[in-house]
This record gives sequence, structure tokens and C-alpha cells, in this order.
Amino acid sequence: MLRIQNLSKTYPSGTQALKNVSFDVKDGEFMVVIGLSGSGKSTLLRCINRLIEPTEGKIFWDDLDITAAPPADLRRIRRKIGMVFQQFNLVKRSTVLTNVLSGRLGYVNPWTSLLGIWSQEDRQHAIQALERVGIADKAGSRADALSGGQQQRVGIARALMQDPKLILADEPVASLDPVLSHSILQYLEQLNKEGITVICSLHFLDLVHRYATRVVALKDGVKVFEGAAREIDRAKFKEIYGEEAQEVRAASL
Amino acid sequence: MPNETVNSRPVVRSGIASALLPGLGQILLGERYRGAGILLGFLLILATTLWYGKPVWYVSPLLIWLWNVWDAVSLAGGRKRSILLPLFFGLAAAYGIGWQVVEIDFSKADMDRAMAILRPMVRPDFVQTRREVNQMWVPVQVPCSSEPPAARREDAGRIATVIPDCGGVGETLIVTVSGMWPNAGMNIFWQNPIGNPLMLGEGEITMLTLTSDENGSITTTIRVPTTALVAAPDPTLPQFHRIYFEQYRPTGGYELSFIGSEVLKGALATIAMALLATGLAMVFAVPLSFLAARNLMSGNPLTYAVYVVVRTLLNILRSIESLIIAIVFVVIVGLGPFAGMLALALHSVAALGKLYSEVIEGIDPGPIEAIRATGANWLQVVRYAVIPQIIPPFTAFTIYRWDINVRSATVIGLVGGGGIGFLLIELIRVNNMRGVSAVFIAIAVIVIALDYISAKLRERLV
Repeated sequence: MLRIQNLSKTYPSGTQALKNVSFDVKDGEFMVVIGLSGSGKSTLLRCINRLIEPTEGKIFWDDLDITAAPPADLRRIRRKIGMVFQQFNLVKRSTVLTNVLSGRLGYVNPWTSLLGIWSQEDRQHAIQALERVGIADKAGSRADALSGGQQQRVGIARALMQDPKLILADEPVASLDPVLSHSILQYLEQLNKEGITVICSLHFLDLVHRYATRVVALKDGVKVFEGAAREIDRAKFKEIYGEEAQEVRAASL
Repeated sequence: MPNETVNSRPVVRSGIASALLPGLGQILLGERYRGAGILLGFLLILATTLWYGKPVWYVSPLLIWLWNVWDAVSLAGGRKRSILLPLFFGLAAAYGIGWQVVEIDFSKADMDRAMAILRPMVRPDFVQTRREVNQMWVPVQVPCSSEPPAARREDAGRIATVIPDCGGVGETLIVTVSGMWPNAGMNIFWQNPIGNPLMLGEGEITMLTLTSDENGSITTTIRVPTTALVAAPDPTLPQFHRIYFEQYRPTGGYELSFIGSEVLKGALATIAMALLATGLAMVFAVPLSFLAARNLMSGNPLTYAVYVVVRTLLNILRSIESLIIAIVFVVIVGLGPFAGMLALALHSVAALGKLYSEVIEGIDPGPIEAIRATGANWLQVVRYAVIPQIIPPFTAFTIYRWDINVRSATVIGLVGGGGIGFLLIELIRVNNMRGVSAVFIAIAVIVIALDYISAKLRERLV
């Protein structure tokens, strides 16, 4: 279980991205974080694996205090938390296989990894991860030769290499068209059913309804809603997204 | 028409304002940039024509001034006039004065002088017909000692004799050589004891060339060259000089001429110079580029200060042409490719440092974030997220720099920096235009070839 307690983040510029946010994520949940752009979703996800240092508050993962972990422990925690990004964040000039293998960096001997040497086991593991997302034939291609949907699947394969207990997905489908969005989210859903907890930020409400087991909504860094997706009625929607907002559907698939 | 009477006041006012100070009327009408531009342009042209002092060009600022008044009046009436007209007046003056300042004078061109240079250049001295040499010499004592040894030498069936056996400067000697190739031209020249050849032909400045008879023999009279003892430490001390006999005949085919081999050596030195300079520059530029990358160094005031200092130094260094740095290094380490290499390296450190730092500033932070998120340590992040992003552009820029350095290296030779440029300036000094032509061709081939190779290599890296 992941417990987020009174989390706040103030950037050096003075921007308060998160204000006293608390919620729990139970193991096996598909937790979706919604909110407008700039509402603090990305900051929240990055605080969980401390890519961004929270200013205040605590995050516990099965009684392990992530926020207090020294660097070596933090790396051990991070390797159990896979992360998927809106812009995929692949190394464009490296091969797909290298990108996937890099998900293993937290486990392997650092010195051999610096030389670019990977065990046969890791390579097979990487190919299997690519097979799971259906692009094993692209292993030798340069990452930027792939389409957006394929690149995101490489991102998922990289996260899978970490043998994660938790996957943080920061708007994983915001750069993709609606058809691909479902295909990517279905991979995450599949992993979720196999027991991996997923925390995912999303934009489109119909995707939220389709995939979320629970929803947290942020507005200006403040948690304004926590509950099941079906509880978000018109009034709640206006509260989260503002009076001006119109619901946009990803696609009626 | 009440409107016109109302509007005529600003028309007059802006016209007078612009007449007093060009651009002022426009400024008063709210066209600040237009007015300032007109004023600056007018002052610039006025200053230029006044400085040059030829009254005919004063017409240009006058016309601009007139246009400016017209423009101010039109502007008050709501119409903008095209600036093409004053631009034309200004440029006409600028180009006219420029023409005179540059002293353009086509009548100075001399076709005869041009042809004297161009004609030999049509035949670059790169290869020559392969030939074999038949060489013979005989020693002769100058000046005479009391008992001079016989001036006679036999070698491989050839016999050369001099009568008398010795002589003083300017004295006549009878020279006979036999057993050489028959009916063939023969060069005869003097060589002093330290190995310098001296001419025996007309006025001691041309080669004495004769033709052997059907038996391969020649007999001729020569004078001991007047300069024979110039290099001697003691002109009264008898020393052995030599008279040389040389015949050449083609053996078919071609071989590299002496100049040709020098050109090849120079070309190799130039490419090597550029290669070493680029390599050396890279070693220094890589660490410097990290210090000159804004995104890495803007974290705290101290690192930012380092950034500013390194950036400024690189910018200053880059603004000094490598040719000028070469002149300094020629003084420090002497003439030759080493000086040229150091100059190129120093300039390249600055150029590469800037290019590299821009690569670093432009890297995508996304992969860094992603690799950190996998639990990788700092070195692994650098290895897997930073290096793959910077190595290809670094390599591409380095190859590009090598390409540029080869070009610069050819020029740097001209100031004594070694390589093919040094050969070029030497050949120009002795007016060897056939050699100059060979150097030109070699430089063109090197530059075109490297341009092509570097473009192909860079294409594969991007």
C-alpha cells in the first residue's frame, strides 16, 4: 500500500504545485489522477519516486518511508517503480533493445553496465518484454524510427524490465490518437490485473471511466475529489475542471 | 471643406519639423522607429559624404532630406511613402564612394603579365617523364699547388681528363670526356668542394649544354668560374673541385617530379596538422564545453560565474582568426607545421567548445528523467541518457572542424605554419608557377575530397 500524507511541493520559483495532498493507494488498484494542465498531476507522480523532492509531507510504501530514503535505498525503491511518460522519454538514437535493457540498470552490476555489457538473461528478458507489447521485431531499430504508439510500448517494456510492483504513468496517452490510447491503456490494464499497482494521470474522462478503479482529482495542487469514477457527475466535473469546461470524449469506441 | 483646414496645420508642422531635423516630423506623428531610422540613415550618409569630401556626392543626403520632408508631409496626410527611394539614394552614394575608395582600375590589368603566370600554370609540375642519367665527373685542383695530381678519372669505361691538371680562377681549361652516350645532349657544370653547382655557360648563369659525337666523346674549353673560391675559407689553399658531365634519356613512362613529391609531402603534412589539431582541440574542448553549458552551470552563482568566464574566454578566442594565432606561434616555436598545428588547435578549442556546449544545452531532459526513474546511479544516467545524446553530434562537429582545419591549414602555411601552404609561398617567391599550379590542384583535391568525406560521415551520424 502507498500512503501519501500531507504532500506539498513549492518550486524555487515560488509556484506551489501541491498543497497538502493526502490519499492512499491500495495494492492492485488502477488509480487515475485527473485535473487540468498545471494542476500538479506530474509533480505528484514524480514526488512518489522522488524525481522531484517534495517540500513537505511523507510518502510511505508498505511502511517504508520513501521521502526519508538515503540515495542507495532510494535507487532500490525506484527500481521497483516503473515509470511511463507522456513524451515516452526514450533515448532516440539508441536501439529499442538498449532502451528496454536500460530498465534493468537498477539491478545489474553498475560497472559492467557502463561498458554496455548485458547478460544473456537480461537480453532474453528484454525480448520477452518487447514480445508482450508486440514489437519484438523492432528490437534492432533506432527508437526514433518507431511511431508514437510503438515508442510508448517500448516505454512500457522498459518499465516491465524493472519487474515493478508499481507503475507511474504520467499522461501516457496524451501524445497519442484515441485508438492508440486504448491499446496502450489496455497493456497497463493487463499489467494491473497481473497484480501491479498503477497510478496514472489522464485527460479524457471517458478513458477515466473505462480504466480507473479509483480517481483522485487535483485542482491548483489541492485534492478536490477522491472516489470511484462513476461518482464524477456533471457538478463534480465542473468543480474539477472549472465552469467553462466542456467534456471532450476521446472517441466513442 | 472644413476638414482640410483642420488637417493643414499638422501637415505644415511636421513638414517644418522634418526640414529642421530629418525624422523629427515622423517622430511627432508617432512613427518613432521610422523617424529614428530616417535620422540615423541621414546622419550616416551625411557623415560619409562629408568625410569623403567630393561635392558630387552631397546630392545624396540632400535628396534624402528632401524625401524626408515629403514623407513627413505625406504622413501627416495619412500616407506612408516607400523607403525604397531614400534607400536607393543612400546606396548609390555608398557604392559610388566605395568604387572610388577601392581604386577600381581595370586599365591596370596587364595581359602579358597575366599570361606569363598563366602559361606555365597550364602545365602543373607534378609528374615528369621517367629518364635515366649517365653521370661522370673529374677532379681538378684550384688554385694550383706546386705538384698537382693528374686531373683524370676513369669509371665504367668512361674517361674524363682536364688539361692542365689545375687552374686559377678565370683560367681556361681543356676538358675531354669519352665513353658517354653517343649523339646525345650533355650538361657540363662545376661543383665546388662544398657541393654547390656553378654554371659554366654564358655569363656563368646558364647551363653549358653540348652534344656528344658518335663515339660518345666531347672536348671543350671552359673557364674556372669566377665564384669558384667564394666559399673557400682560404683562397690560396689548393682544393679539389669537380667538373660534372650529365646525360639524360627517357626510359618511357612517368614519375613524380621533385616538386610533385614535395606537394604530396606538403599535402600529407597539412592533413596531419589538421588531424592532430582537431584531436588536441577535442581533448580540451570536451571538458570546457560542460563548463560552458548554461543548463548545467546555472544552478548556483558560483557555477554560473564559471560559465560566464569560460563562455567569454571561448568567444574571445574564437574571434581571433587562426592565421593570426599562427603568426604568434611561429614566433614562439619557430617556422613549421608545429606552429600551425598549435594555432589551429587553439582556435578549434574555442570553436568546438562552443558547438559542444550548445549540444549539451540542447539535450532532451526526458531520457535523463526516465533513466533516473529506473534506479540507475549517476554514472549510469550519464552513460545511458546523456552520452548517447551527445556522442553523435560531438563526432559530427569534430569531423566538420577537421574539414575546416584542413582548409585553414593550407592558408596557415602562408605565414610559416608549415604544410602545403608553406610550399606554396616558397614556390611563389621563386616564381615557379608550374609548381604553384601543382599546389593549387593538390589543395583543390584535398578540400573537395575532405568536404565529401566529412559530409558523408556526418550524414551517417545525425
